[in-house]
Amino acid sequence: MKTTIKEQYLVSTFFTFFLVHSSQTGLALLGFQDNISKNAQQDAWVSVILTGIVIHFILWLIYKILDEKHPDLMAIHHYCYGKVIGNCLSFFVLLYFLLQSLTVFWGYIEIIQVWVYPTLKTWQLGIVLGILIYYLVSGGFRLLTGFSFWGVVLPSFLLILIYFPIKYAKTTITLLPILNHSIGDILLSAKASTLLFLGFEWILIYYPFIKDANKSQKWAQFGTLYSTILYLIITLISFIFYNQEALQHTPWPTLKMVKIVHFPFVERFEYIFIFIWLLVIISPLCISIWACTRITRRLTRIPPKISLFVFLIMIVTATTSTKDFRSVEKISTITSEIGFYFIYTYIPLLFLIKHIKMKRNKSF
Amino acid sequence: MNKNDLTLEELLIAAKKSKDFTRIERSINGTKIYLSYFNTLVDHEIIQKSLLPYLNSPFLKNIDDISDKLPIEDITFTEDVNEIYLKLYKGHVILQNEHSPNECILLNIHNATLGLRQNNDAENEFSVIGPKVGFVEDLDTNLNLLRRKVNSQKLIIEEMIIGNMSKTRVAIVYLDGITNEQHINTVRERLKNLNFDIIWDTSVLEQIIRDHKHTPFPLLLSTERIDRIVYTLVNGQVTIFSDGSPNAISGPATLLDFFISPEDYYLNWVLGSFFRVIRILGILFSVFSSSIYVAVLTFHYEVIPKDLLGPLIESRANVPFPPVLEVLFLETTIELLREAGARLPTKVGQTLGIVGGIVIGQAAVAAALTSNVLLIIVSLSALASFTTPIIVMGNTIRILRFFFIVFSAFLGGFGIIIGIMFLLGHLFRLKSLGSPYIVPLYPFRRNSLADSFIRSPLSTLNKRAPYLRPKQLMKFYVKEMRIHKGDLNDEE
Repeated sequence: MKTTIKEQYLVSTFFTFFLVHSSQTGLALLGFQDNISKNAQQDAWVSVILTGIVIHFILWLIYKILDEKHPDLMAIHHYCYGKVIGNCLSFFVLLYFLLQSLTVFWGYIEIIQVWVYPTLKTWQLGIVLGILIYYLVSGGFRLLTGFSFWGVVLPSFLLILIYFPIKYAKTTITLLPILNHSIGDILLSAKASTLLFLGFEWILIYYPFIKDANKSQKWAQFGTLYSTILYLIITLISFIFYNQEALQHTPWPTLKMVKIVHFPFVERFEYIFIFIWLLVIISPLCISIWACTRITRRLTRIPPKISLFVFLIMIVTATTSTKDFRSVEKISTITSEIGFYFIYTYIPLLFLIKHIKMKRNKSF
Repeated sequence: MNKNDLTLEELLIAAKKSKDFTRIERSINGTKIYLSYFNTLVDHEIIQKSLLPYLNSPFLKNIDDISDKLPIEDITFTEDVNEIYLKLYKGHVILQNEHSPNECILLNIHNATLGLRQNNDAENEFSVIGPKVGFVEDLDTNLNLLRRKVNSQKLIIEEMIIGNMSKTRVAIVYLDGITNEQHINTVRERLKNLNFDIIWDTSVLEQIIRDHKHTPFPLLLSTERIDRIVYTLVNGQVTIFSDGSPNAISGPATLLDFFISPEDYYLNWVLGSFFRVIRILGILFSVFSSSIYVAVLTFHYEVIPKDLLGPLIESRANVPFPPVLEVLFLETTIELLREAGARLPTKVGQTLGIVGGIVIGQAAVAAALTSNVLLIIVSLSALASFTTPIIVMGNTIRILRFFFIVFSAFLGGFGIIIGIMFLLGHLFRLKSLGSPYIVPLYPFRRNSLADSFIRSPLSTLNKRAPYLRPKQLMKFYVKEMRIHKGDLNDEE
């Protein structure tokens, strides 16, 4: 198996910031507040910070796992478990990534249908989005990095919109009392906010595509830090804007907040917001599917274009197969559950196994 | 070049079929010599004043003296039939003597400027301030204009002959020690490998040597302005001239290069930056305005505020078509006007422009074919598309407009954003002579942004763009900054 990538396909080290950050932001940002405040209520912002800190640690673990000899997950699996079991595990990771991309794909189409085009059919949107993703992913990892860069820079002007909810929220009393919840509640909320940060684990796949990858940890950590700060701001603002009772009955709190934005020349700003949000989600969506094709390529001899086509067909058909809106929520819950155990259990485990193996090899 | 296995005899016989081929006989000291040339190509004044009298003169004792005695600059001795063939058709006179007819002396008496214009006002890329001389069809004139601006031993001009029918002289120009070898080699290789019959214009060369065939974007900068070409050369780009074309092409080019006008540098940086920003905003408006109109009026009229919706609906009240047909009708009309304007003789053109623009526009509104609002939008965006300093890019912008209209007609605002994604994905893939096309935006180069959307003061633009990988980064060193920092700092 060849693991070294040609120089011309590598991306600069500092793009790791944008890759990690853009993989973390996504669809979840539009409506996570109701989930995370279920247990810890107004104290859930503590949970966001807590999760952020743990994610920093997990990222550090990932950088410990990866090294020059074993620059990606498939190589690590081979090293730790041997060829057969390693490949099986890699295949399971592929399924998990595929599930992640399905969640985003499906979730975005649902938002488009609920908010903007109630009459448009799922398959129409699915096919258009599918063709777009095929076009972008077939351009290779460098192109996707470009999207992750511009997907962070361009939509950052949306942050100005924070002004509007602050203008309407006259009081900060909804944040009080501070820290009157048990640690258990806060941890449960922290678990719920893990979904926000999922996506950074794709670095296990694209690590060899980064120039001087071992020096990129700084940027990756900064990316995570920026995500944490961003989520913290949005959490605090939505806690100021809504009271806890209302928050529990609001499906997409962020979008609802955008609804109050209006300018003399434009109303219903959430339409524009949702459209621009495609810029934000397209890079995590494409990178997750790209990661699937990359794993396939490393495990089998199937050319990426074919596997990409097959994955997209699978995603589009899965999206169009059911008309039940609940199924998006179900699949998102399953994904975040799997993701939760993947990063908090499997990655530390992998770290341990690899280090035990390294030590044993050294002692011989 | 294609080798033909003709002998000199056959070559002359083939040439004799044409009426304008001339072969005359003279003798020097009893030795017969033959002069063969095409009288449509040579300069008769030189033949009569500087060639024939000398052949009869007593100074010329031997045929070998010719190169010393004749007042003609370009004289070559050769036996190479291919070279003779090539030069005969470029206006050289072949001189043979009867004893050794294969040893030819070639005299360059080409009437190079016959039928060509001597000067050119840069009419297509006009600028109010700054020099107005543009390139002409004659290669030597163009290179002369170039040498006048760049007085340096670094300016290197290489020449090749391209085109199996036209045998056009093509010049590759670059600055030695500044331009990256890789770019020069790419250009050399691509020109060497191309097969084509007649090089009509450098725009043909551009199409043949470009990196991607299937894209509406121009990948090499084509211009008739001298200052522009000098600027690209100084920055470390490679320029290609071809004989018979008043345009030079430069590469590797980037997308932003096409939105930069030389005038930006002639104005001070505040004004220059302002106009550049206006231009880029205008281009964005031009690309998106009509598709946004279609999207809003077909799918999301809710985004228009109440007060604005009334007048908009009112102006559209009598129009029987859906917005997309209305837009396509008006856009096609504008395109028609533009195309007709480009083809019409200049004298008729202006009159018809007024008739087309005002009369047809007003009549279309009166006949309820379009709304007033759309008329404003479409004509403004047509106007904005002409702000691109490079004409070819203006055409690309107008094509893109139709692309977005179609997308927005199907899916509204979502269609537009999907279109933007496709466009970005396309731009990320494009390369110009192997370098990324939308650098410095991606791959992101922070220090190249000083001369991109804005134009920083000239003293800060003393570095060449790093993405061109020049062999010498600094253009000049700023010795002292004579900037007046305000009276507070003046101690004396």
